[in-house]
Amino acid sequence: MKSFEWVQPESVAEATAALAHPGAMALAGGVDLLDRLKERVDAPSRLVSLRRLPLAEIVEADGETAIGARVTLAQIAADPKLARSHRILADAASHAATPQVRAMATLGGNLAQRPRCWYFRSEAFSCKKNGGATCFAHAGDNQLHAIFGNATCAATHPSTLATALVALGARVAIAGKASRTVDLHGFFLAPEKDLAREVDLAPGELITHVVVPKLPATVKTAYTKQVAKQSFDWPIVDVAVALRMDGGTCKEAKVVLGAVAPTPRRATEAERVLTGAAVDVITAGRAAKAAVTGATPLAHNDHKVAILEVVVARTILAAIGKAV
Amino acid sequence: MANDDREQPSGLSRRAFLGGTAGGAAALGILARDREAAAAPLKVVSGATPLALKVNGATRTVTVEPRATLARALRDELRLTGTKIGCDRGACGACTVHLDGVAALACTTLAIEVGDREVTTIEGLAPGGKLHVLQQAFVDNDAMQCGFCTPGMVMSCAALLAKTPKPDRATVRAACSGNLCRCGTYPKVFDAVMVASGQKPEGWPLEVRNVAPSAAPPPGTAWVGIAGGSVAAELRTIPENEAKPWPMNPGLAVVGKSTPRLDGKLKVTGEAKYTSDLQLPGMLHARRVVSPHAHAIVKRVDTGKAEKLAGVKATFVVKRQEGATLVDPSTEKSGTYPRIRYAGQCVAAVAATTEDLAEEAARLVEVEYEVLPATTSLEGAMKDGAPLVYPGRVNMGGSAGGGGAARDLAQRGNLRGPAQQSEGNVDAALAGAAMKVSGEFRTQVQTHSPMETHGIVADWRPDKLVVYASTQGTATVRDELAAVFDLPKARIEVKCDFMGGGFGAKFGAGHFGVVAVELSRRAKAPVRLVLDRREQHVAVGNRPSTLQQLTLAADRSGGLAAIDLVAHGTAGIGTGAGVGWAAARLYPTPAVRTRQYDVFTNAGPGAAFRAPGMPQGMFALDQLIDDLAEKLRVDPLDLRDRLDVDAPGGTATQPDRVARRLERRIGADKIGWSRRHANGAEKGPIKTGIGIGTSMWRRIVDMDSACEVRVAKDGSVQLRSSVMDIGTGTRTALAMVLAEDLGLRPEQIDVHIGDTRWPIGPASGGSKTLVGITPAVRQAAHEVKAKLFAAVGKKLGVDAKDLRARGGRVESEKEPAKHLVWRDACAAIATDELAAIASRPNDWGAPPSQGYGGVQFAQVQVDTETGVIRVLKVITMQECGRLINPLAVHSQINGGIIHGISWALFEDRCLDPQSGRVLNANLDTYKVLGARDVPFIEVVLLDQYVGLTNTDAHGIGEPANVPTAAAVANAVYNAIGVRVRELPMTPRTVLAALRGKGRV
Repeated sequence: MKSFEWVQPESVAEATAALAHPGAMALAGGVDLLDRLKERVDAPSRLVSLRRLPLAEIVEADGETAIGARVTLAQIAADPKLARSHRILADAASHAATPQVRAMATLGGNLAQRPRCWYFRSEAFSCKKNGGATCFAHAGDNQLHAIFGNATCAATHPSTLATALVALGARVAIAGKASRTVDLHGFFLAPEKDLAREVDLAPGELITHVVVPKLPATVKTAYTKQVAKQSFDWPIVDVAVALRMDGGTCKEAKVVLGAVAPTPRRATEAERVLTGAAVDVITAGRAAKAAVTGATPLAHNDHKVAILEVVVARTILAAIGKAV
Repeated sequence: MANDDREQPSGLSRRAFLGGTAGGAAALGILARDREAAAAPLKVVSGATPLALKVNGATRTVTVEPRATLARALRDELRLTGTKIGCDRGACGACTVHLDGVAALACTTLAIEVGDREVTTIEGLAPGGKLHVLQQAFVDNDAMQCGFCTPGMVMSCAALLAKTPKPDRATVRAACSGNLCRCGTYPKVFDAVMVASGQKPEGWPLEVRNVAPSAAPPPGTAWVGIAGGSVAAELRTIPENEAKPWPMNPGLAVVGKSTPRLDGKLKVTGEAKYTSDLQLPGMLHARRVVSPHAHAIVKRVDTGKAEKLAGVKATFVVKRQEGATLVDPSTEKSGTYPRIRYAGQCVAAVAATTEDLAEEAARLVEVEYEVLPATTSLEGAMKDGAPLVYPGRVNMGGSAGGGGAARDLAQRGNLRGPAQQSEGNVDAALAGAAMKVSGEFRTQVQTHSPMETHGIVADWRPDKLVVYASTQGTATVRDELAAVFDLPKARIEVKCDFMGGGFGAKFGAGHFGVVAVELSRRAKAPVRLVLDRREQHVAVGNRPSTLQQLTLAADRSGGLAAIDLVAHGTAGIGTGAGVGWAAARLYPTPAVRTRQYDVFTNAGPGAAFRAPGMPQGMFALDQLIDDLAEKLRVDPLDLRDRLDVDAPGGTATQPDRVARRLERRIGADKIGWSRRHANGAEKGPIKTGIGIGTSMWRRIVDMDSACEVRVAKDGSVQLRSSVMDIGTGTRTALAMVLAEDLGLRPEQIDVHIGDTRWPIGPASGGSKTLVGITPAVRQAAHEVKAKLFAAVGKKLGVDAKDLRARGGRVESEKEPAKHLVWRDACAAIATDELAAIASRPNDWGAPPSQGYGGVQFAQVQVDTETGVIRVLKVITMQECGRLINPLAVHSQINGGIIHGISWALFEDRCLDPQSGRVLNANLDTYKVLGARDVPFIEVVLLDQYVGLTNTDAHGIGEPANVPTAAAVANAVYNAIGVRVRELPMTPRTVLAALRGKGRV
């Protein structure tokens, strides 16, 4: 990797000021960033270490849970309160990467990580995200790529936590010149909006925490990460479902699809099928079919469409306690 | 709790800040510990800076740049080389250390970030030269092979036990799931963790079936037979001066008994030094400049800017072409530089004082390319008009132990071959056959992915060339360098104490090795060139892909009438993409024809890989035999019994066939074959099935198998040979063989191997190491004992011929009371030392068959909706000659199976079809099986003696790997009733097969 300078602020305000420095990038767990530096996909002139910032706690109060940006995936996976209150988040965290990576990787870094597209990650391909004019996946080996929203850039969003968090209605708090809070789903940027960034963070901005609202007991959730290999694998697809139930009837549905589009995708058609319906095998199947409607698979990834449909149906059923 | 008001500093700016964030008490809690920005500006750290690290309980200062990873700081600055770098991308776990007691990755952590944390490395796990209980359990349970992943694996498991003193099995697997072991030692690791936590080992079954006679065979004979079959003493002409045959294993004291490996302690403590760990005084670091283009002419190379960089000591522009050699070089006008034929081919190299500098210098080398059209796929390369990889005919020598292909085959376009075998009239037999089955089978490119990448330290000195290499063959590296640099072999020393896996890819010096030697010659300093993970995937070998069309014809009663095989495969720019000899030789058939072609593509060269060609060939053959059985409506095992005979319609007397016949029945009982359901008969989306795969391997004898045994007057014993230990436990096996003959314990023998200064030993490959070297060890022991007994006989006043070495003493066979303990016996030596160098004695006759056999059964579970396959169980039966160390054989067989499953389900080198660049040259999207994917494995070993040498030892590396994918494929068919004829069997290929789409 290229040489860089390093600073270690002690407060959020210092960190945001440091991040406003031209060429600065934030360093949290480093799992994703070091990979990019070694591959020379990024070459910051200065790293801003977030290690001494106080954002490493999970706090529950007034009906919501705030999770600091420096909380590790291992902390989320092991937190007994989260396991009860937001089980699918703990599920997603515990299925991510490897034990060592989970001990290092942070929530903020996980949400702000960049795509794992093997063209984007290679210095040898000057893809659209790297300032070029081509999406090499379109005519290349695209078996791992997006099946929705892939016309501009076919990279998928790599965060599995995001899939669960969007289903939980999370908001993300951002510090900067003007601190703000945005809906997590809107925090992710489609390539048509901005090719150079995947999240709505400007220079000098920093994720401080993520807030997840308390779920009423009537909300039933489930999360599935579908992998081929059990030990450390990227998802073929991952799906999070949150259903507000009234007896056997779904009053409100969130179906979120991961690893299939450049951003976590709300399957609004599937949600429409579920809302107001009695949830059973048949509606789950209909919703799953709706979830894959409009998919635009590439030459080598139509298996993802079939698998997505199955996993959506299974996850809906798992949410209401009917595991396959 | 964080929301205690008194702990919060106050201040307007902060309140204003909070006001703008996600409101609520919870959010306030998160930010409660935040404070005001300090008035002073932040300290900017830039360039090399002293840094205090708390490592293994002491504060150590290193001077590093901010970009230095913890792994590099530990290894390069503190010389704590137990922390390994396997992928340098956080995917393999070899660099696992503890940060404040938690397992973390040193390659993905900046050293500057851990100043406030306690760093524990493998060296600090149990200070004071003691072993942590886990380290001891790893040694006792043989939880290691090459040992390169071992420190990281131990650290992950130690972190687990610190948190969870009595983990259950699933927790152990989860804790290991971030540590890759390419040797496939996971089952023993799981056992070690259970034992270390005071629990019962998981109990991975190993059953050794011995043959009874515990006496030495009568003079002039050797034992011949197999456990479960017949046994007899057969006449042999054994030269007078040779070591005599042993009794069968029950009659031996050391050999055949499970023995923890002698170098285990070095491996579990991180003290074992691998090539990539070496730091010689004044050593330089090298990086290569490689082509980003798959096919190009190099027009210009300018190393000027690189040379001007301070710290750069040598540059080198490559002159020697990689890959095959044109028969007529004038057919290619390449200009000054070798033609670029694959993306990743080396153009130039630099050597500098640090790794960072070398990397920077390599990037300063300017190369101008004229890019040519490339051909990147097997099928594309076979088309008329495809860009030509070579303009004319080529030849390529195989690396020792495999690879390569026959010389002077026909060549048309990118097609070279066929290499052909033919017997009988296949066309007539096919035309007249009562029934036929045929299929088209595809297998993918697999990279060796040893945990230690290829590496070399070259030290060109005025008087000699000294090379430390991560290699499978010290002598083969020496021979290649002698040829390239025109040096006498006597002036080259090649050393390899420990190496982190090879699997066939590490026989010669390699192109990169030659580059390193050349840089050392130019710089007049030692040069270390360790390839990175990308280079390992791209440039130094792979198992070639194949496309096989196979047809079997049979008569109505199920006798084979004809076998016809056409195989195409691509080893990139290399040759040797064949599928072995399974179709030609496993089942004797009146008419056989195999035609095998190499297809050149613009991709990195193939190399020998664990049973070169055989798993590919067996994947096709074993599936078609099952298809034939289905068509004939006979049981697949019965059909194999019928076909697996010496000659068509005859009986099975050859040892491998006798073995497989027994093994099929043992396995059938264990897997529950009689309860096997009809293909695809289970209801529901998730289905299970069982299937069989067949192993065959040749008994390869390498006569370059010599050793020296020295016995000193103080009783110490050493064994020396250039043979090295690839992780199979050769070091321990040799000590066991020598200890047996000297009446000692293995740990009383000092084994010095892996150095060409010592008598030549075989390269470790082809499952030929022990076949070759153990008879030489016994012969050297025989000769040294004769000298020792002469001295002892004189002292005891008995005839030296009546002496024997047993139980730590030298005693008279007739009057055991007349004896000396070993040390006193050695004191009788007149000089300070006795020594004998022995070459390998010839076999005592022609082998009765081509090799040895094994059988595997697999049970799988297939999710027919997602296409995900899980292998639940593998039962393997294997004969492997005389067992030397069952413990190590068990580990190696587990590894062969795990390798086979990984190939069958996960591994696939992906090339970008346009550019020919490898897209997944890493260890996360190039998927290697991990701890959670290990099935239940049961191993049954049958002692088999053929009476050909004084040990009758065989190897086991390849045979255990040959049948696995075939067994899995047949089990998948039994589960889902649809054939998956393409590897890897991923969700994508399985769903395509289920939809009847054929291939993806």
